[in-house]
Amino acid sequence: MKALWIAHNTYREATRDRVLPGMVGAGVAILLVAQLATPLALGEGVRLTVDFGLSAISIVGLLTVLLIGTNMVGKELERRTIYNLLSRPISRSAYLVGKWIGLAAALWSVAAILGGALWLSLVLRGVQGHGAAVMQATYFAALELSVVTAVAVMFSSLSTPVLSALYTLGVYVVGQWSYDLRGLSEKVAPPLSTLMRWAADLAPNLPLFNMRTLAAQAQTADLAHTAIATAYALVYSGCMLCLAAAAFESKDFK
Amino acid sequence: MSGLARSPSPLRAAHGRAATAWGLALVFGILAVALARHAATSLTAPRPLEELSYYPSGEHLRAAVLGFDEVAGDLAWLRAVQYYGEHRYSDNRFLRMEKVFDILTTLAPNLLAAYEFGSFALAQEGHDFPAAERLMLKGLAANPRSGRLAFQAGFLYFVRPGGRDYRHAAEYFSQAARQADAPPEAARFAAFAGQQSGDLEMAYELWQQVARTTPNRYLKEMAERELGALRDAMAAGRPDLVVKHLPTPVVIVR
Repeated sequence: MKALWIAHNTYREATRDRVLPGMVGAGVAILLVAQLATPLALGEGVRLTVDFGLSAISIVGLLTVLLIGTNMVGKELERRTIYNLLSRPISRSAYLVGKWIGLAAALWSVAAILGGALWLSLVLRGVQGHGAAVMQATYFAALELSVVTAVAVMFSSLSTPVLSALYTLGVYVVGQWSYDLRGLSEKVAPPLSTLMRWAADLAPNLPLFNMRTLAAQAQTADLAHTAIATAYALVYSGCMLCLAAAAFESKDFK
Repeated sequence: MSGLARSPSPLRAAHGRAATAWGLALVFGILAVALARHAATSLTAPRPLEELSYYPSGEHLRAAVLGFDEVAGDLAWLRAVQYYGEHRYSDNRFLRMEKVFDILTTLAPNLLAAYEFGSFALAQEGHDFPAAERLMLKGLAANPRSGRLAFQAGFLYFVRPGGRDYRHAAEYFSQAARQADAPPEAARFAAFAGQQSGDLEMAYELWQQVARTTPNRYLKEMAERELGALRDAMAAGRPDLVVKHLPTPVVIVR
């Protein structure tokens, strides 16, 4: 309950921040650019719109995590509001979980708005049959952002905002290459192959959430894929939050 | 004392909570790794390269990468190699390879390895010599002073599946021999190809150049032997005397 109370406050704080409307505006602008670029796509305008629209959710979401998520704990420390909070009967882990839920909820809202805008732009163009695919791809993009938010919360509980942002960005990039690392590990000799496999295991497997190719063809992932991706997002986020809690419990605020 | 013994000190409680968090992180981490491995083996891997190949051309993609052409080219190169590897070890069909290499070389026109590898893969394994020729000529147009690429172009014609093209091979080998970065054997190859194509005068000049410039004693002897044979053939007016009959070549791309 306490975590939900903190989540509610974090959500309110994040949505009142000027960054979030700016990011939504940027996402809509990317969609508009896709419409303008359609004549250049030589008949691939729908694909371009879907690709740009879904990429916008990921890019805008990542920027939001880097600008807000990595700053969350640092800002509270700077303003000293964290002392008031933690002097109440609120556990540090509940505080971190609440922060994650709050920011993830804000990101899900952004994803829903941009996914809706993408769907609307397709409907206005008279394109039919992409609704379910866009909805599912938006869901997957939001799952991906939840995982990245958990990574950001973990780093933000350990380090300064700037370093947290850099670390989170690094993990995001490695996460995007996790499938390539796994594939390459089978083509090189040990110990490099072992190292690559470990890196692929430990980094968030973000390509699991990439549904852009399927959505552009109006196709959806099957139920097994959706279930595995959802479970993976929850489990990986849980792992990151536990690591954050372990580090945060040992932190001395005096 | 007894009260103290029953309720642990705040420090000990914090340590206990941190230990629990570490334990949970470990459990979640193991679960996440298991799920990631399961997803990598059981679900269809995303194929960003296929996605790339749907774009109308590299020119449009170049606009989309906002000036990071070379980085995008490098990433496309990695994908292209993966694409080749995947299809080589599965269905041995390279339907989109020309498009993929066209996009790649538009993004990174100076990536010589892409022209070399792409051309030979297209000609020898894709069984599409015209596509290989187009790619190689694109590379030569973008890198007109590259002796290395001109040499590879000569070699591509020299080992053309279905019948060697000595005339073009000689043309590009001699073009390569005029550049500073050409392999030392370019002049020798040009001389040999020229001789095979029936252009005895050009072959004579090139063998002379080899005999004059090579520091290798055996090569010098070989060039002088060929010069003697060419003199005899020219005197007799019989080019067939110096033309060697070679089998149709096959290049294995590794």
